[in-house]
Amino acid sequence: MRFSEILNLVKLNLIQNKFKVLLTSIGIIVGAATIVSVIAIGKGGKADVADQFRNLNAGALDISYEQSQKSSGSPFGSGSSGSSKESGRPSFSSGSFTPPSGGGMPDLSSMKSGGSQSGGKGGSFPAGFGGFSFGDTNVKNKERITLTTDDMDDITASVPGLSDATISYTTKQNIYGGNIEESESYTIAGTLSNYADLSNLSMLFGDYLTDEDNENKNKVCVIGYTAAKKIFGSVEDAYDSIVYIDDRPYTVGGVLDEQGSVEAGISADEAIFIPYATGIKYLTGSDISPTITVIAEDVNNISTVTENVRNALAVSYPNAEFTISDAGSKMEAANKSNKTLTLMLAAMASIVFIIGGIGIMNVLFVSVKERTQEIGILKAIGGSRKDILIEFMMEACCISLIGGIIGIALSFGVSPVISGFNIRMEMSMAGALTALGFSVATGTVFGFYPAWKASRLVPVEALSSE
Amino acid sequence: MSAEQIISMQQVRKSYKMGAEQLNVLKGIDFTVNKGEFTAILGPSGSGKSTLMNIIGCMDTLDSGSYSLNGIPIHNTKERELTKIRNHEIGFIFQNYHLIPTYTVIQNIIMPLLMRGQDRRSAEKDCGEIIEMLGLSERIHHKPSELSGGQRQRVAIARALCSNPSLLLADEPTGALDQNSGTEVLKLFKKLHEMGNTIVMITHDLNVAQWAERTVRIVDGEMFEETA
Repeated sequence: MRFSEILNLVKLNLIQNKFKVLLTSIGIIVGAATIVSVIAIGKGGKADVADQFRNLNAGALDISYEQSQKSSGSPFGSGSSGSSKESGRPSFSSGSFTPPSGGGMPDLSSMKSGGSQSGGKGGSFPAGFGGFSFGDTNVKNKERITLTTDDMDDITASVPGLSDATISYTTKQNIYGGNIEESESYTIAGTLSNYADLSNLSMLFGDYLTDEDNENKNKVCVIGYTAAKKIFGSVEDAYDSIVYIDDRPYTVGGVLDEQGSVEAGISADEAIFIPYATGIKYLTGSDISPTITVIAEDVNNISTVTENVRNALAVSYPNAEFTISDAGSKMEAANKSNKTLTLMLAAMASIVFIIGGIGIMNVLFVSVKERTQEIGILKAIGGSRKDILIEFMMEACCISLIGGIIGIALSFGVSPVISGFNIRMEMSMAGALTALGFSVATGTVFGFYPAWKASRLVPVEALSSE
Repeated sequence: MSAEQIISMQQVRKSYKMGAEQLNVLKGIDFTVNKGEFTAILGPSGSGKSTLMNIIGCMDTLDSGSYSLNGIPIHNTKERELTKIRNHEIGFIFQNYHLIPTYTVIQNIIMPLLMRGQDRRSAEKDCGEIIEMLGLSERIHHKPSELSGGQRQRVAIARALCSNPSLLLADEPTGALDQNSGTEVLKLFKKLHEMGNTIVMITHDLNVAQWAERTVRIVDGEMFEETA
């Protein structure tokens, strides 16, 4: 029998049993809709991860310090001066100890054992104090350390394989200006001029902060897209306007393009960026916890660079544990969890397909039973086993194809609803085709056995069936 | 074997297992039908006539003996070949018409031609004359359920004829019809016989059998020639 004629018979049978076809294909409809949605959610998740990490460089390492909450327990008391270079961090570069300014004894945990140390103003330390061990882990991170641009310079000087480095901090400050009637709290980020490049920030208006702004501690700022809209009503109005941060006027030198939500780093859309030194001078003083970001030239070399950075910091801060996190690992972890979610959803879709397939098989078995006499007639008048097999197989395929198409249409229809629950979906033709392929494959696999059974019916027995 | 013989059976035996017992349905049937004959196989129910019809129609196998249809040794033929033989050599007419209810009249009629690989258009063309002869031209787009019993049987006859078979095999063709419709069908058989068709008709009704030119009786699995 010609294939086209078999298809014609299939069409005839399906049209005669429209409602049954629809009911039979429900499993496939749900399965196909699930597959399309799973792929769309998977793609959406991947895109989300990409968006959230787009302000991060894959080779970026963030170095930060967190002081232990425990009391220092120092036998000499805690130096209130802090130990940052800008506030008098001891420097060991020349092998001599420069005690911190600001008086008081330096926190002992910040001191190196050994080495020639001379006293300085604000608190002296006896020369030849070496041999005194403070290496106990219990005393780690008890001192107050503020990372500085000098630390950044130390790292870039001593760690090979770095392409760039920057330092930044954030603080919450009340601001007003523009359309704001009462002051509101905003995130203020103190950054260097290279922060925008390293964080892949793009400008909508104006320019990012410059080295000069930082050196001169200029009161200029760059506003994030959302912040600009909130404060000034529109991004156009924000540019070249004045915004008051902690009651001091800052000129808006630039507005950032919309960056979207971010998983790590500063959420640029909501933040106001000011020169690093300006913030320290006018807003925070030394009471900040900056993050140094270094960029590894070779992303495959991250672990070595991490170790070298740790070693370089250990020279200055032997009793401090720094948190070093690399963007690549974060991205990998996020991608991995996204992949796990996708796999889980795919497993769900597979189960739905199997259930749908079993549904098709059951209905086809019933159909074969109902149509036994018809099969007998076809065999009596010369229908071959192959013809019967193909006809029933094609019926199963068509039912699942119809189910697949309805399912795909359903998933496209439902996607805005799912997106309404803050689940990002990236609908794609590839997803639709995959679902269609799975649908037809399910119909073919599960339709085979009933079709084969139909083809093996003995004509005389089939004819005499009621 | 004569070239004129369409059916040639020698010592055909068939038995079925009924639980532990062996039921011998056909007990050594010798039966021949010549080309152009109109033969009736007459017998009461349980005599083995349906089993014989199934064997003649290549829908069942025989346990022993030999059977040739139009010179083809059926007893040695496999199912795949039997399917082709059914399609090319035999036109079935069943008591309950056995039309496919979801197909229209024309779709039912051309089905044997489609089965042998013909396309729909040429099959419809080939069957046109037969459809006209049987008075079904006005009904070709109707479903079997929209026809009377007599019309349905005419559709079944048209389906049997359109494949131009060597043998028309009719199983109780008037069994489901009222007397008038039954007579019409038998008249049609007579006409087909006169046109040169070979017909074997199975019936339990002597009145129906009398329309045939030759009658054989089957009783308890054995065949006897009826003499006029």
